[in-house]
Amino acid sequence: MERTVYPLAAMVGQETFKQGLLLAAVNPAIGGILIRGEKGTAKSTMVRALAALLPEIPVVRGCAFSCSPEPGEDRCPDCQRRFPQLETTTRRARLINLPLNATEDRVAGGIDFPRSLQRGKVVFSPGLLAGAHRGLLYVDEVNLLDDHIVDLILDAAASGENRIEREGISFRHPARFILVGTMNPEEGELRPQLLDRFGLCLEVAGAKEPEERVELMERRDAYDLNQDGFCAVYQAASDQLAHRIAQARARLSRVRIGANLRGFIGELCRENNVAGHRADLVMEQAARALAALEGRAEVSVDHIRVVAPLVLTHRRRDAQPPQPPPPQPPPPEPPEDRQDEQDEQEEQQPEQNQEENQQSQEQQEQQQKQQAPEQQSQAENQEQPAEQETQEEQSEGQEQQAANNRDEQLFEIGPAFKVKPLTAVKDRIVRRGSGRRSRSRISQKKGRYVKSSLQTNNDIALDATLRAAAPHQRQRACDDGLAVHLTRQDLRGKIREKRIGNFLLFVVDASGSMGARGRMAASKGAVMSLLLDAYQKRDRVGMITFRRNEAFVNLPPTTSVDMAGRLLAEMPVGGRTPLSAGLAKSHEQVRNYLIRNPTAQPIVILITDGKCNVALGERKPVEESLHLASALSRDGRIRTIVVDTEEAGLVTFGLAQRLAGALEAQYFKIDDLKAEALVNIVRGQQQ
Amino acid sequence: MNIRPIYPFTAIVGQDKMKLALMLNVINPGLSGVLIRGEKGTAKSTAVRALADILPEIPVFADDPYQLDPNEEYESYLDIRKALQLPPPEPGEQPQVGMRKVRVVELPVGATEDRVVGTLDLEHALKKGEKRVEPGILAQAHRNILYVDEVNLLDDHVVDVLLDSAAMGVNTIEREGISFTHPARFTLVGTMNPEEGELRPQLLDRFGLCVNIEGIQAAKDRVAIMERRAAFDLDPEGFAAQWTAESTALADRLLIARALYPQVQVERPLLFEIAQYCLDVGVDGHRGDIIMLKTAKTLAAFDGRTETESADVQTAAELVLPHRVRRQPLMEIADNIQGLRKRALAAH
Repeated sequence: MERTVYPLAAMVGQETFKQGLLLAAVNPAIGGILIRGEKGTAKSTMVRALAALLPEIPVVRGCAFSCSPEPGEDRCPDCQRRFPQLETTTRRARLINLPLNATEDRVAGGIDFPRSLQRGKVVFSPGLLAGAHRGLLYVDEVNLLDDHIVDLILDAAASGENRIEREGISFRHPARFILVGTMNPEEGELRPQLLDRFGLCLEVAGAKEPEERVELMERRDAYDLNQDGFCAVYQAASDQLAHRIAQARARLSRVRIGANLRGFIGELCRENNVAGHRADLVMEQAARALAALEGRAEVSVDHIRVVAPLVLTHRRRDAQPPQPPPPQPPPPEPPEDRQDEQDEQEEQQPEQNQEENQQSQEQQEQQQKQQAPEQQSQAENQEQPAEQETQEEQSEGQEQQAANNRDEQLFEIGPAFKVKPLTAVKDRIVRRGSGRRSRSRISQKKGRYVKSSLQTNNDIALDATLRAAAPHQRQRACDDGLAVHLTRQDLRGKIREKRIGNFLLFVVDASGSMGARGRMAASKGAVMSLLLDAYQKRDRVGMITFRRNEAFVNLPPTTSVDMAGRLLAEMPVGGRTPLSAGLAKSHEQVRNYLIRNPTAQPIVILITDGKCNVALGERKPVEESLHLASALSRDGRIRTIVVDTEEAGLVTFGLAQRLAGALEAQYFKIDDLKAEALVNIVRGQQQ
Repeated sequence: MNIRPIYPFTAIVGQDKMKLALMLNVINPGLSGVLIRGEKGTAKSTAVRALADILPEIPVFADDPYQLDPNEEYESYLDIRKALQLPPPEPGEQPQVGMRKVRVVELPVGATEDRVVGTLDLEHALKKGEKRVEPGILAQAHRNILYVDEVNLLDDHVVDVLLDSAAMGVNTIEREGISFTHPARFTLVGTMNPEEGELRPQLLDRFGLCVNIEGIQAAKDRVAIMERRAAFDLDPEGFAAQWTAESTALADRLLIARALYPQVQVERPLLFEIAQYCLDVGVDGHRGDIIMLKTAKTLAAFDGRTETESADVQTAAELVLPHRVRRQPLMEIADNIQGLRKRALAAH
């Protein structure tokens, strides 16, 4: 089905992009190109436009594997047998689209059902990899591709050959293609192995200049109104571009590169600390392609300089370290001492000043609420002096009240940590659900059909069954009017796969002791980074906070990570620490979740300093919390992480650590947490 | 069994923005659909289903359930017939052409991928031992309106498939031994309740227009809603009949606008206004610009004009940009674009 394609010659801007594509088209030895960028930047359109310009290649007539009739080339077994008596024709190199719904047998190839039926033996039906040979394999949204399909393509791209060993077929054929992938990094990053396989990588973004945007709009509108007319206008330019590519291809093998330049390439790669040697090889090939495109017979330093960024960006190992969070302003000395005293006083006199606390807290609340601005970048600097002023005013009046005051304060979210992408190890437990963190085999009839198995479990894979039965039909033929005779041994079941999200329950201590010195800000920063990761992985999140006398479920399990983020920003802090209530509430939430999803693996992330001073029952608070904690640890399905926000100082209570012990949880200090660490912790829990 | 009449589009109270967005898409299917975000009980689904009232007729092949265009898609018609193993038309014989009304095809939430995309025709394979394509919902949706209720609750891979087809205008089936491609140019209308989770940015961007709706506050409007609904429930045919005149008038107006659209002009300064708007509020890529241009032109056509005006651009911005404004994944979708632009400009 032919459709008009927006001409490459009519694209506005995106010169680097065009150049990258041309390089990949001229020299397939580069090994493909990955295009990363925001949506709406014509990634897919450009690739299709390129395919329309590729030169024609000689092929064996009627061969589904696009075999080459040239001597010295490898061929499919059929063509190889008949060589050199081969009928040839020429046609344009093909662009094969890898659809997201492709199953493994369509990509690699499988049994040709009707022919196997007829001949009574296994006949191979070529897949997409066969069609892409000597052409272009285009994978849109490559970061969303299923792992096993990725592995298939990787294998073929690396070895130049597709080997099939499944379902009674044993076959191999050449598969050398240009791999072009596009992706939007917002949706998740690519696995590093796949990243390295792409020879070149480039970033695209929208145009910043209004003139360029207007030009783009005008052209697109003109195209939509009259496609054929539009293409006709650009026909001459398109032909010229196609000619350039063809010429460059012909010239490529004669392009020379001096030994000193090879040394230069080696230096460049070494300096950039890339892994392995693929970069060196790719850079040479890319430089030669560029030289060929420019009509030169020899590679120059400038050619290398131009292609280097395309080759190195995605391979550079010591990339800029993640932006360090802006340092928190150290508060001036006097309030620090006073707050220490206040801490200790609060521990010692929990019961007495409760009434007074409530009242003055109310007053404080109102004052603070009027003050706090919500600008992320500035607030931290401004708020600390503000709250200190208010505290100083108060303490002038009544020392005792001020000392036990925990102001209601809204804290800005600290800088978000950068989170490394998480993948959990695939397990064999059967599950239900939808999400992207862990891959699981699932039992309901949902999820993508990935392969067949001998167990049917009520989900028959008809195609695999028919394929299994096909070769035997001849023997089973009889006159009962059925076309296909199946026996029990033929039955195959579907194995479906779907990414299962996890449930992350954040239990956040929102008491006054957390308000000190940016502990809250840091905690929120840690939670924020996990939320961002959860968003990409489609995890469910929930949030419980505890302060004053009780625990609140701020957010029941939801995929709306937006709401979690918003709650985080608006969460007030202040009051005592009812840790036991928090633990009890979290247990309730998790237990309810597990009732509905018995095979889930929820993770509870408890962020506190452990200094609880409100008990649910008759016991002392700390004792009670530890008792509850050990009761909670009995359900093996729940995994807990404790993040200790107690600041290291002269006097530390280590209560959170004891809590972690009782919970049998992993324990970390928030000060030690940096970007990768927190995510690794959560990842560690999932293994 | 008589088919119960649908609640008439013109009888819906208020929600003018949503109605406008839907009507613009009827005039110009090139606007890439509408996403309707709103709390429960705000006539989202009612409005979309009610569209059937005012949809135009299109030329189709008489015996083809997949609405192929006789003017442009004859090849695909032959391909599909072959894939379905129907006899090809006699040489020299022109297949019959007729007019059929555009329909709203619904995609149920529990739809599995094979029903959406199409798959191997099981029955045929078992009976005749041959591979035959069974086209899915996407084939039926071609040149129609595909309505996806609760689009944010769809399974990821079904969403991916919709994305693919909505973007490229074709659906490719490569599964279970079948390999087949057919045109699938449909207007995607989705509804969702944001409380239940947001859409992926990729899918958000594919929707041409986006409207946020809330329950109506004015007391007399709320009373009107109740009265009309009660009247409809009591006597659907009678109620629908009362609104026939208005519905027909609206349908005609949409038809006229459709015919007028190719003649609508845009002056260059307006194009700069559009580009600047998008740069000011901050959008990813260029889809925002392109769709804003088309929407502004469609608004002009709807109004019976061949000249686009600045007011059209302003209205278009409110429909086209809310879901494209660049934001952190955890932040709200913008509500008021004008306000956003003022703030953005003030901040510089």
